[in-house]
Amino acid sequence: MSNMTQRDVFWNKIYDLAKKDRNIVVVSADMGAPALDKFRVDLPEQFVNVGIAEQNAILIATGLAMTGKHPFVYAIAPFVTLRCLEQIRVENSIMNIPITIVGVGAGFGYDDSGPTHHLIEDIAILRAMPNIVINSISDNVMAGAVAEKSCSMPVTNYVRLDRLPSRDIYDEGTKFNEGLAVLQKGNDGYILTTGDMANTALDVARKLKRNNLSVGVVDIYSIPINESLLTQTIEQVKFIVTLEEHFLPGGLGSAVCEILADANVSIPVKRIGLSLKKGYCYEYGGREEIRKYYGIDTDGVLKQLKDFISAYDT
Amino acid sequence: MKEQITKLEQKAYDIRKATLEMCIKAGTGHVTSCMSCIDILVALYYGEVMRYNPANPNWPDRDRLFISKGQASPALYAMLADCGYFDVTELEQFAQKYGKFGVHLQKSVPGVEATCGSLGHGFGIAAGVALGAKMNRELYLVFTILGDGECYEGSIWETAMFASHNGLNNLVAFVDRNAMCVTDFTENLLALEPMVNKWESFGWDVTRINGHCFDEILDSLSGIRSRKSNRPLVVIADTVKGEGIDFMSNIPLWHGVAPKGKDAEKARIALQRRYQNE
Repeated sequence: MSNMTQRDVFWNKIYDLAKKDRNIVVVSADMGAPALDKFRVDLPEQFVNVGIAEQNAILIATGLAMTGKHPFVYAIAPFVTLRCLEQIRVENSIMNIPITIVGVGAGFGYDDSGPTHHLIEDIAILRAMPNIVINSISDNVMAGAVAEKSCSMPVTNYVRLDRLPSRDIYDEGTKFNEGLAVLQKGNDGYILTTGDMANTALDVARKLKRNNLSVGVVDIYSIPINESLLTQTIEQVKFIVTLEEHFLPGGLGSAVCEILADANVSIPVKRIGLSLKKGYCYEYGGREEIRKYYGIDTDGVLKQLKDFISAYDT
Repeated sequence: MKEQITKLEQKAYDIRKATLEMCIKAGTGHVTSCMSCIDILVALYYGEVMRYNPANPNWPDRDRLFISKGQASPALYAMLADCGYFDVTELEQFAQKYGKFGVHLQKSVPGVEATCGSLGHGFGIAAGVALGAKMNRELYLVFTILGDGECYEGSIWETAMFASHNGLNNLVAFVDRNAMCVTDFTENLLALEPMVNKWESFGWDVTRINGHCFDEILDSLSGIRSRKSNRPLVVIADTVKGEGIDFMSNIPLWHGVAPKGKDAEKARIALQRRYQNE
């Protein structure tokens, strides 16, 4: 695991690109990063600080995009999505003016900051709108690759970065063009997941191997989901489990079930994520503690998965 | 000058009449919200203020106009049709089946810069465009018209602060200060005054005028391309919600509706009478 965070990798890449492309402009809601300190000093004309004002950040970025710029709006993830949701809806979804929205702190990334800083609804909310692609980043290689292709995306690109350093999952040079990747092949079933939960899914799959269960892992890093590739990927297995650090209604699991229903695919599915019954939480002591509270830590997922398998087996 | 004002008055009548007729035919539209800002629109398009080209709506050097109070769309559509952006017969289909545009402003219409309906948006986009123009060393100006009720939106003040801090002196905002919101007069429901002080304290050059007096509107814009100030300019235009149609003016119940039946005829006569008295 590198000490760099996804944020550092992403902004380092944007810094390199911006040195060669004057149209790249960062619109920050007073949010920093080491790479951005460098950016501000070396490329002051391409750095705009709007203050802690996310609504205006989206509006200014949209205006800049209308003059040929490639704006990157940057703030803490729950604020740059939900505080300015209507601006995103009107300017970027309805009018379809593409910008890149960079939010740091997906899921429980801001673990000890409490529920105002947790972001566990954004997939449900943003995937409900056209002209927005959610890039749910699971490691540093992906963060750099998504930064690279951000300027050429024809629709608004929401980059959902984790806050904490992430484990390396992908090899350097991996292309992220398919929207999902099989991280581990499975014969019995697949765990379909997104973002940092890919690591938990891989841990769970490893443990299940000891029980002679061949469960694979699919990282869905781009939403809307690549429907044909998804249905094709799960064609040969007996069950699927969706795993997300997100409330269940409308989240990744819902999106997967919608695709299966529409494609008339009949397969047992278990959605694992955050139950609305548990609500928001004020749990402290780190991300794992919070995940335990919701039952989405490795042991919790294992238990839910085993219960699911034994239930449908009988 | 007098001749120019007479011409503008005639245009203001034409645009008010077209706006009223399209709303009557559609049975909808914010007639009174349109009436309060039509003189500003006429001054911008026909008072030799804005640079624009109806034959090439996306002309890169054009001045940009963002109607942030998107409910005034019928007024802008009537204006754009009059300028020749599209055929005037399109106005007859306003907000009806096969129509190309409806009650709130729509970017797909030639001459319209942005979709606006929800308030507090167009102003910020305008500021973003003004900033982009500066970055690109472009010389066009960016105009925007805000409703006074729109100034209740917090995003307006986020943008106001941003525009002055960034020295966007290529941005000109009008506040259509008709003193009314949806249910009541602004000063009764939640006071907006002192508007001049508010905008000044946000770092803008401010001027306050009678928004139905062409002399004053044009005067507020004289030398607009050679301003020495580094600040953006806001023109607080005192207006009447419903200007030109006396019985609909300053009555909250006329917000967001078009006159029907006998009221429609009454409105036509009122408008005609208003201009005959000039």
